[in-house]
Amino acid sequence: METHAQPNAQPNSSELSAPQSTNRRNSLWWDAYRRLKRDKVAVISFWIIVAYVIMAILAKTGLLFPDVNASVGDQYMPFSLEHPFGTDIQGRDILARAVHGSATALSVGFIASGIALIIGIALGALAGYYGGKIDALIVWLYTTVDSIPYILLIPSLTFVLGRGLVNVYIAVGVTSWVTLCRLVRGEFMKHKSRDYVLAAEALGASHARKIFRHILPNVAHIGFVQFGLGFVSAIKFEVILSYLGVGVDPTTPSWGIMLDDAKLELSRPFWGNLLAATLFMFFLVLAFNLFNDALRESLDPKLKNK
Amino acid sequence: MLGCAPASTVNMVKASNHMKLQMLFDLFVMLYLLALMGDRFDNYRADHYTTKSLKPASVTVKGMRMMCSKVHRFFQLTTFIKGLALCVAVSLVTFGLTGCTKKVDDTDTTINIPLRANVKGLDPINANDLYSSMVIQNIYEGLLDYHYLKRPYELKPLLAEEMPTVSPDGLTYTFKIRKGVRFHDNPAFPDGKGREITAEDFIYSWKRLADPRNASEGYWIFEDKIKGLTEWVNAIKNKTGDFDAPIEGLQAPDKHTLVIKLTQPYYQLQYVLAMPFAVVVPKEAVEKYGAEFLNNPVGTGPFMLEKPSDWIRNSKITLKRNPNWRGETYPTEGEPGDKEAGLLEDAGKPLQIADQLVFIELTEDQPRWQNFMKGNLEWVEIPNDNFDSAVKNDKIVPELAAKGIKLQISSAIEVVYTAFNMNDPILGKNKDLRRAFALASNIPVRIQRFYNGRALQAQGPIPPGLDGYDPDFKNPWGQFDREKAKEYLAKAGFPEGKGLPEFTYETLADSKSRQITEFEVQNWAAMGIKMKISTNTWPQFQEKIKNGQAQIFGLAWGADYPDAQNFLQLFYSKNVSPGPNDSGYKNPEYDKLYEASLKLPPGKERTELYKKMRDILIEDMPWIFGLHRLNYRLTHGWLRNFKYNEMTYGIYKYVRVDPKKRAELKPKL
Repeated sequence: METHAQPNAQPNSSELSAPQSTNRRNSLWWDAYRRLKRDKVAVISFWIIVAYVIMAILAKTGLLFPDVNASVGDQYMPFSLEHPFGTDIQGRDILARAVHGSATALSVGFIASGIALIIGIALGALAGYYGGKIDALIVWLYTTVDSIPYILLIPSLTFVLGRGLVNVYIAVGVTSWVTLCRLVRGEFMKHKSRDYVLAAEALGASHARKIFRHILPNVAHIGFVQFGLGFVSAIKFEVILSYLGVGVDPTTPSWGIMLDDAKLELSRPFWGNLLAATLFMFFLVLAFNLFNDALRESLDPKLKNK
Repeated sequence: MLGCAPASTVNMVKASNHMKLQMLFDLFVMLYLLALMGDRFDNYRADHYTTKSLKPASVTVKGMRMMCSKVHRFFQLTTFIKGLALCVAVSLVTFGLTGCTKKVDDTDTTINIPLRANVKGLDPINANDLYSSMVIQNIYEGLLDYHYLKRPYELKPLLAEEMPTVSPDGLTYTFKIRKGVRFHDNPAFPDGKGREITAEDFIYSWKRLADPRNASEGYWIFEDKIKGLTEWVNAIKNKTGDFDAPIEGLQAPDKHTLVIKLTQPYYQLQYVLAMPFAVVVPKEAVEKYGAEFLNNPVGTGPFMLEKPSDWIRNSKITLKRNPNWRGETYPTEGEPGDKEAGLLEDAGKPLQIADQLVFIELTEDQPRWQNFMKGNLEWVEIPNDNFDSAVKNDKIVPELAAKGIKLQISSAIEVVYTAFNMNDPILGKNKDLRRAFALASNIPVRIQRFYNGRALQAQGPIPPGLDGYDPDFKNPWGQFDREKAKEYLAKAGFPEGKGLPEFTYETLADSKSRQITEFEVQNWAAMGIKMKISTNTWPQFQEKIKNGQAQIFGLAWGADYPDAQNFLQLFYSKNVSPGPNDSGYKNPEYDKLYEASLKLPPGKERTELYKKMRDILIEDMPWIFGLHRLNYRLTHGWLRNFKYNEMTYGIYKYVRVDPKKRAELKPKL
């Protein structure tokens, strides 16, 4: 049944593909923004994420805990005002390590899911738009990648590439584009026969113009939502890999390495590392998940009148 | 012999408490997995959403989707809570299961032994690491061995009838080989029955060790020592030689006599003959298995690998009792204290060999400790983090003593060190830079933090207990002094570390090695030296060192035999990789002294030379001399006759498990 040109999907597409300053305030994005603003959980989550980003930037620029690898006292100092989570086996402040750990985690989140975003959209767009052999090839590629469980694929990639932050970016990035690719491909297949694309073709638009100027803006929201999802899982993967000893270089502060330390400290018993890494990760991952969820709902045309 | 640098020792809280903490940790890991599952769900929804939009949206669909989304949000909010509940349930089940322990078999004599790193192979000519040797020496045997109980270490005959007769000039050794010793039964032999060993077998095994095509890591034990061997090796290298060509220095006048002729006096010959490199292997098996020989060991020892599948890579190796083993009696003499420790109860009785010997590879401290606490391992070295809960004032804590667990302390004849690659264009050429590194290494704090204070700072390459060790000597560049280190760094041409590239420190992947490495790197970072840490598995690590790819690395050398020469040879220029000189240190002056020391019998003159050599090394600083460890081990009450031997690892023929006692004690752990 080719009756899919729903009345409520059309306005978005036409507005976006022919943006005019007068009705910009009625666009999908403005609409989403308005609805997000009404959602208290989303707003709080958003500010938590912003707080993490600011913290990470401050840590990286040396304004917050500039000397993260230096001992500040004895090992395993108890919790105190000066060192809220105590000190670790090397006598380093655990709070400082956790704060710097969030910079590591966020950087992995941004870059790895950024890589996945670029690969996913590029391949998805090519496959969906051109179809035929290109499509078959790309579908074969992503089916193959997807058939390998990535809890195994990512560690094996980092084993091959070696330990280090850049290698974690690459390993997580090049393995987590499949879902996005599949979704973008589906959307492109749907959109390429829509009236507005046919109209553009009739006016002599090139392939590139159709892909980038016309179709892509209409499927961009998928990228957004997937970017957020990928972000969270990239953070978790960084932690897991570092915990397993194949993630970042041990001189880079990471929550995963803190947990690895915590594993040995359980018997002392000392739990500063465990608590700090868990709390920091908990709030970031939770905020991201909630925000993402709200974002997806606000971009979903079906739920517009909620 | 190489060992793991990270010296674990130490220990902890009540075990029950620990179990709870361990459980908590399991929960935590499972939470991750659940959170990941949550993610999968999200992906699924996103997928769902686009396919849905292909169909006309009806009111019901809309309603359902809203409901879905509420449910979904609930799911996300409660992922952690649900995860927690599930984990608690799972843990309770597992905990409950371990609670009602199965009855322990009271006839099972299996001995379970922990290994701290993975075994790379069971070919004796490549047994240059501790972990492979620990297995190999229970399968293979050589001419000589160390006395099990006596200290200081003393040699005794094993496959030889008696100690060799030595000619007055010290150049000819004559061995009588024990009659009736047979190899393990193996399909490699004509009728599957192990053949009797002869003197020719030793000659074959040693030629194989020397054969340059085998690139053995153990050829140094005979290199330039045996008459005609060097010529034979060169002929093979030039492809003009024949493997079967006779060697003047290795002769078998009859089936049970072996004559070794040396080119120069070699006072360590008897020691090296007790090493795993010099064991006897059968020609038939080497020829049958070829490259697979390392997985199909065939020796003469009390234990054998029945089939290759008994070795599960990176997990465990199960050896079975060799039914044809000739038998032996338990030693009747020991050092003072052995009698009180119950080590002489079996004196003079025939050995009772365990049915099975299981080597369990556990690279992480806590799993090893937990397995010991559950009675799955017969002994364990006390991990650093558990030390305080197991040992107080060098005595075992009463909670553990009540379970029948005993403490055993031995001092390792070894040195833990950090080596520089002397072929590195920057590190190798700059003495002051290496001194700066050494001065900035805080060894006393390292001993406190990672060894619970149970180690002695090394002032040179020679450990206590050997000729040439001087307790009053202090290494001028070995005492931690950051200011002085900065001066030397400036003197080296890199004030504040400016102009230095980023270095790479190679270490092992387990958590404890990483922590120790982090500590060292942190000390150097405080002077502005940038360094990244690369973590490896044990075989990978050894490979990198052997190929000279490691820039700076932490390692330990355990004595192969009780002579300081074994440590000093690590700096001899002819021993560079694949020999044991890992740092690639070359100094003609040192070589001269070393060669001179080889020609001297043990005595004052030789000791003086050793000290001179030590001074050269301290001047040149190819290593940062770290520390000498004391080993604290716990053993279970059912383990009998266990006394750790730092020189030989083929000790499990003496050790036995009391199965009745195990059945009684194990369920109470």
